Amino acid sequence: MDRAEATGLGIAVVGHGALLAVLTLGLANAVVLPTMNPPMDVSFVDEVGLQSAAPDPATEAPMASIAPETGSPEEAAPKAIEAPPEPTPTVQPKALPKAKSEPAPSKTATKPAPPKALPKAATSNAKANSGKGKAEKTKGSRLGSDFLKGLGDDTKSKSNKATGAVMSAQAASSIGSLIKRQVQPCADRQGTPGPGAERITVTIKLRLNRDGSLAARPVSTGTSGVDDQNRRYEKRVEELAIAAFVGCSPLRGLPDELYDVPRGWSNFTLRYKPS
Amino acid sequence: MAVDMAAHMSPVALFMQADLVVKTVMIGLTLASIWTWAIIIGHTMKLRRINRDNERFEKDFWGVEDIDRFHEKRGAEDLPAAKVFSAGITEWRRSTKGPRVDKDGTRARLMSAMHSAAGEEVDRLADRLNILATIGSVAPFVGLFGTVWGIMRSFTDIAGANNTSLAVVAPGIAEALFATAIGLFAAIPAVIAYNRMTHGINRIEARLLRFADGFHGTLSRELETER
Repeated sequence: MDRAEATGLGIAVVGHGALLAVLTLGLANAVVLPTMNPPMDVSFVDEVGLQSAAPDPATEAPMASIAPETGSPEEAAPKAIEAPPEPTPTVQPKALPKAKSEPAPSKTATKPAPPKALPKAATSNAKANSGKGKAEKTKGSRLGSDFLKGLGDDTKSKSNKATGAVMSAQAASSIGSLIKRQVQPCADRQGTPGPGAERITVTIKLRLNRDGSLAARPVSTGTSGVDDQNRRYEKRVEELAIAAFVGCSPLRGLPDELYDVPRGWSNFTLRYKPS
Repeated sequence: MAVDMAAHMSPVALFMQADLVVKTVMIGLTLASIWTWAIIIGHTMKLRRINRDNERFEKDFWGVEDIDRFHEKRGAEDLPAAKVFSAGITEWRRSTKGPRVDKDGTRARLMSAMHSAAGEEVDRLADRLNILATIGSVAPFVGLFGTVWGIMRSFTDIAGANNTSLAVVAPGIAEALFATAIGLFAAIPAVIAYNRMTHGINRIEARLLRFADGFHGTLSRELETER
């Protein structure tokens, strides 16, 4: 071994040692983790309550205006005769149309209007009473004293029906998170099947008894969030999710009144993301 | 988890986890790699020096008037061209010292003496190249052997662990594949260096033979003019 070979051997040994040190210290294999955009966790809601649990709107007819309608004096003349009797504050809204539609001779009799106007046709009498009719109309609309009637005690008495017994979207969501919270300990024990598996969301269909136990083995009806990286873990994630539900049942604390209402939790579908 | 895995992927950790057979393979391949690079570095330096010195020697040789004096001064250099030159001179002296000189025989002997000197020098230069060739062709197979062995072993472990999760499967296979990686790491430079150095030595040989032919021509003319 001459000098050149000895030099070569020394350089080679030193170079291999340096390479080994670099690889060991991890300078050469800096792991770039996939960016996962963590700031926002969006979950698509497919479990919407089709029945609204909000209070029904008031069903009473709104108050009709009892004020005389504005218009040209000539056209309004016949009504001008009838308008004066309105000052009575106790008139019912339903009574009003009647009063308007019929000539109402009895009421007009109480009026200070001339009696001769009554037997006559409205057209002939319009001119005589024009001044007075006009004055009445241009005073604007008058409301009956009971114009707030529909918003009073009636509304309250009608809207206090039971809202809890309807599976609203909100209730479904809170039941879903209640279930997920109880299943989480079992999911935590499982560990992740592989890189990227935590992005898979499994849609789980549960059939539950009233006491919260499983009436049947949960089934997966589909997954989402599957990409090239985690495709091979899809089946495994489904199995693990089902195992988590099996392991952590019976489920406690689910609202009893929502068990067998339409879309209640006797047959509950939720999107479950193990991680 | 990924960071944890990265820590386990460091060469030392992979080596420490490995089976005894795989460890042996890894050590052997690492030594082969060191040897390869020692040969590459040493021979590159040597070939460069020899090329430079040969060129200078030939230039000096074609410029001198008195070949005998040049032989006294430079003939003992440890240089292929000097060896060929001194083989020619020695043969020339040996053949022409008698009273009767066989010109054709002298020419043939001169030629064969110088060619054999050149061949010897080239052999000496090339004696390490067969190591490069061997490492280049065998190291991948040795690495593959380590990998196969390691994967066999890790499959046995997986079957024993009754768990197919990636955390169980991956380290054994990674450690096994590391053997192939080292094999290729040793083989690729060896193959490249072998081809490069074969080419370089062929050029030196061609140059030596041209020098020998030229010197033979000179001596041959001398032979004709002298007697």
